[in-house]
Amino acid sequence: MSEHHHKETFITKYIFSQDHKMIAKQFLITGMFMAIIGMLMSAIFRVQLANPGESSILYNLLPGDWINEAGALNPDKYLALVTMHGTILVFWVLTAGLSGTFANFLIPLQIGARDMASGFINMLSYWFFFIATVVLISSIYVQGGPASGGWTIYPPLSALPQAIPGSGTGMTLWLISITLFVVGSLLGGLNYIVTILNLRTIGMSMKRLPLTVWALLITAILGVLSFPVLLSCGLLLIFDRSFGTSFYLSDIIINGEMLHNVGGSPILFEHLFWFLGHPEVYIILLPALGIVSEVIAVNSRKPIFGYKAMVGALLLIAFLSFIVWGHHMFMTGMNPFLGSVFTFTTLLIAIPSAVKVFNYLATLWRANIRFTPAMLFAIGTVSAFITGGLTGLILGDSALDINVHDTYFVVGHFHIVMGLSAIYGMFAGVYHWFPKMYGRMMNKNLGYLHFWGTFICAYGVFFPMHFLGLAGLPRRYYTNSAFPMFDGLSDINSIITFFALTGAIIQAIFIFNFIYSLFKGPRATKNPWESTTLEWTTPVERIHGNWPGDLPVVTRWAYDYSKPGASADFIPQDVPLKEGEEEH
Amino acid sequence: MTNTLIILVAVLIIAVLVQITRVSELLSEIKKQDPNKVTDSNNKTQGILFLVVGSAFLIFVVWQMITWNHLLLPPASSLHGQEIDSLMKVSMGLILIVFFALTPLLFYFTYKYRGNKNNKAYFFAHNNKLEVVWTVIPTIILTCLIVYGLRTWERSMNPDLSQAKIIEVYAEQFKWTARESGTDNKLGKASFKLVTDQNALGVDMKDVYSKDDKVIREVHLVVDKPVLLKFRAKDVIHSAFLPHFRVQMNCVPGLSTQFAFTPTQTTAEMKEQEGDDFEFVLLCNKICGAAHYNMQMSFIVETQEEYDAWIASQKVLSEKLLTQK
Amino acid sequence: MNTAKNKALKQLLWVGMGSIAMFFAGLTSAYIVRKAEGNWVDFILPEWFVYSTIVIVISSLILIFATRRIKKNKEIFALIVIVFLLGILFTYLQINGWKELTSMGVYLTGEGSNVAGSFLYVLTLSHLVHLAGGLIALFVAAIHVKTKKYTSESFLGLEITAIYWHFLSILWLYLFFFLKYL
Repeated sequence: MSEHHHKETFITKYIFSQDHKMIAKQFLITGMFMAIIGMLMSAIFRVQLANPGESSILYNLLPGDWINEAGALNPDKYLALVTMHGTILVFWVLTAGLSGTFANFLIPLQIGARDMASGFINMLSYWFFFIATVVLISSIYVQGGPASGGWTIYPPLSALPQAIPGSGTGMTLWLISITLFVVGSLLGGLNYIVTILNLRTIGMSMKRLPLTVWALLITAILGVLSFPVLLSCGLLLIFDRSFGTSFYLSDIIINGEMLHNVGGSPILFEHLFWFLGHPEVYIILLPALGIVSEVIAVNSRKPIFGYKAMVGALLLIAFLSFIVWGHHMFMTGMNPFLGSVFTFTTLLIAIPSAVKVFNYLATLWRANIRFTPAMLFAIGTVSAFITGGLTGLILGDSALDINVHDTYFVVGHFHIVMGLSAIYGMFAGVYHWFPKMYGRMMNKNLGYLHFWGTFICAYGVFFPMHFLGLAGLPRRYYTNSAFPMFDGLSDINSIITFFALTGAIIQAIFIFNFIYSLFKGPRATKNPWESTTLEWTTPVERIHGNWPGDLPVVTRWAYDYSKPGASADFIPQDVPLKEGEEEH
Repeated sequence: MTNTLIILVAVLIIAVLVQITRVSELLSEIKKQDPNKVTDSNNKTQGILFLVVGSAFLIFVVWQMITWNHLLLPPASSLHGQEIDSLMKVSMGLILIVFFALTPLLFYFTYKYRGNKNNKAYFFAHNNKLEVVWTVIPTIILTCLIVYGLRTWERSMNPDLSQAKIIEVYAEQFKWTARESGTDNKLGKASFKLVTDQNALGVDMKDVYSKDDKVIREVHLVVDKPVLLKFRAKDVIHSAFLPHFRVQMNCVPGLSTQFAFTPTQTTAEMKEQEGDDFEFVLLCNKICGAAHYNMQMSFIVETQEEYDAWIASQKVLSEKLLTQK
Repeated sequence: MNTAKNKALKQLLWVGMGSIAMFFAGLTSAYIVRKAEGNWVDFILPEWFVYSTIVIVISSLILIFATRRIKKNKEIFALIVIVFLLGILFTYLQINGWKELTSMGVYLTGEGSNVAGSFLYVLTLSHLVHLAGGLIALFVAAIHVKTKKYTSESFLGLEITAIYWHFLSILWLYLFFFLKYL
């Protein structure tokens, strides 16, 4: 790796940067931008659900041909919004925005390295992501609209433009975009793994790694093993769509036209898709849990409880995540025995998840909690993980899934674990590491406001959805007014939409705080949270190569908070052991 | 005009927020305080907020359970459905107990251990015994749940089909069609290659079993008699969802799937129980295109006599196709 | 040479190859699942694919020989060029294999095609696309050999090219035996 004495130009510093810290911020800004778009999409379709068939001022944000003469949203464009919302939030915000930001920012800093193993590949990972973003956004404006078959893009719906307009050019662009996205993701993941395994500073053994780094390492391994299967899945879909093969298509008559495809199976697609799809949700969750472990420890002024058990739980969750994918497919007509196997493995995954929750609770016990905005969000993550994780036990049980599959019960579950738990983890990370990223402090009071507003509104949006699901309401429905059996649910829908719109507006507080603090925030000190981890030993101004002199030498684990016998209530990792002091 | 107004208002709000933030920071500067330092007073407020909002959240949950309980699906109207409902009660009970134990605990801890410069945290890094306890107990509970769940699943998926009446349900954008198998209780072979305007389900009329098949637009079932629904799809993946019977099965083009169940209540009984506008209904439950939200077909459960009368009035396929031009 | 940087860069390649392997694992799993469902046409793999297998194995052996020679500071430019040309030959033989398949009536798509054929084309095409990357790497390595960028101690670019090329050979061996016997 070249010595970091080269002069940086504007282009090499801000645009084609190979510095992991800048790349992290590129991921963060792009992720935040996409989050706003994804959130606006959900605001729009929530308005349709609360006031079906009516016009709304929010529809002015959409391309003109998405609205009919009456000013209402077209049903297929409702599905387009739902599809793009899912795609953007699952991949762009919670994978790239979360992993891309924090893996890039924290890994070299927390392990005591100058930068990633290959700054060049790291830079490529962002620019692939950027181009993927441009392609995806452009798909919104093509004829026929963007992909509209759900973010899960099952064929034949996603293969046939005759089935829904968005499956034309929009879907082609979706596939191109996702391919670029996955390549970018893989390039990043390679770096994270190799950097953590090879570039740890002297004394930074695996046992002294902060839990955040463990989580990011395991996430990266999950990614490099599972994302390629999405590519193979997508490749076969591309062949079916554009070259007339029959991997997934068979026995189809669409719009009066009999297609020639014979012998294909849409279920094959589902297997390949969910082989990525399930590890994907842990790729989303694990970094959030890693961040939360760090934030809770620092702000509790005591070690994260059960470090080894926490690492073990991460490993077990990661391993199990590869053998549960069938729980997304219980109702496909699969062999019931296979269904039983997947129920078994799925409910097993509850065990390491529960262990993590108990360890978080034990960390809070007899703590001396400092409520920074980051800490508030970390606690929110734990609450949401409990709530959302528990409903997973219902969904993972195949017999129970018969009546809740693809209903709002599922929507409630995955939003609480991803849309609450993981996003809160992301917020916690931003609030916590903003001083290190930008050398300034975010406003504390605005942070408090943002948390409480979000916490209240988010539960207000997603908890009621369980009841909609248990009332039999399917997901991805343009309106609930077609079936009399759902007439009684319109009040719940209105409440959900109210909280959704209010919650969306409250995010403006965060955006404002972020941008304001970027320029006018009070200057931060080197270690404002009094944390033990290595990133807080770097200078506030942030330099290429991270440390001005030698790399720090590590002598202890990352959690010496309120250690008995120590004068300060925290000991940074690079402080040598005192005479007679034992390492934990 | 409204758009411009909205933008103006947004800009104004932002300007106001900027000023408020600047002022509060300046005030802190004057008082020589770090505006973003978390004080003991902050900790007290936030700790109390967790207790208050946390309690409100729990009350909100209970309120929802009470207020919206009547909106949930009525108890299952099928045999296996009743077993599923029992499993659901047990599972829900379990997760609610855990939820109402852990959530208050979380918020209580955040309140009780709110920070104070006079306090010191207790350096308690691990305890293997605790780890074993809270690994083993969930494992035992989950194992019991798994076993119970798998038994229910096995019984739902492998019922006795020997007496089952066979009915085909055919899914397409955007409607359902069904086909009664007739007195031979065998469906005639069908293929997408045989679909025409007259023969919408592509039934092979040369197959001897097709002769007495009847294409119907609503399904009638006899109460307490098992039925085997066989599913096909014409164009994209659909899913046959009969929530009142606890039945759901994907309809996949190129594949045949099925689900067998025994209805235990007649539509008339349900109308007495739930109100006169009650209907058993079939919905589509897998995104299938623009009108996915409006694929409906009625299912009517009735006595044997009522069914016999109804089926007699339906035309057999061989007749229907002959008389159609 | 095994400096920390070299070690790290080689590991980057290894993890990357792991990802590529998973991509092919996805495709071959799909093949197995689909084949089990029936409506599958069996056919004999054209001899061209046997020739191409031999060619790529030979190219790997030559590359191993070359990496041994460079440690002893000996000339290897000609050898690298030969490996590159064998790679081109491999491509040519694969294409001939496809031509023979179409003359046998095995098509990727269209009237008369069967998914068995489709899978074969997709698998071999995917391998070839990854091989293109290997050819580019060989080309760059050849230039560096000619311009004396490598020494007997430091030839990381060549090492990485070689590892990747051997991966492509092993991957092809896996695909070949998979398609022939499964």
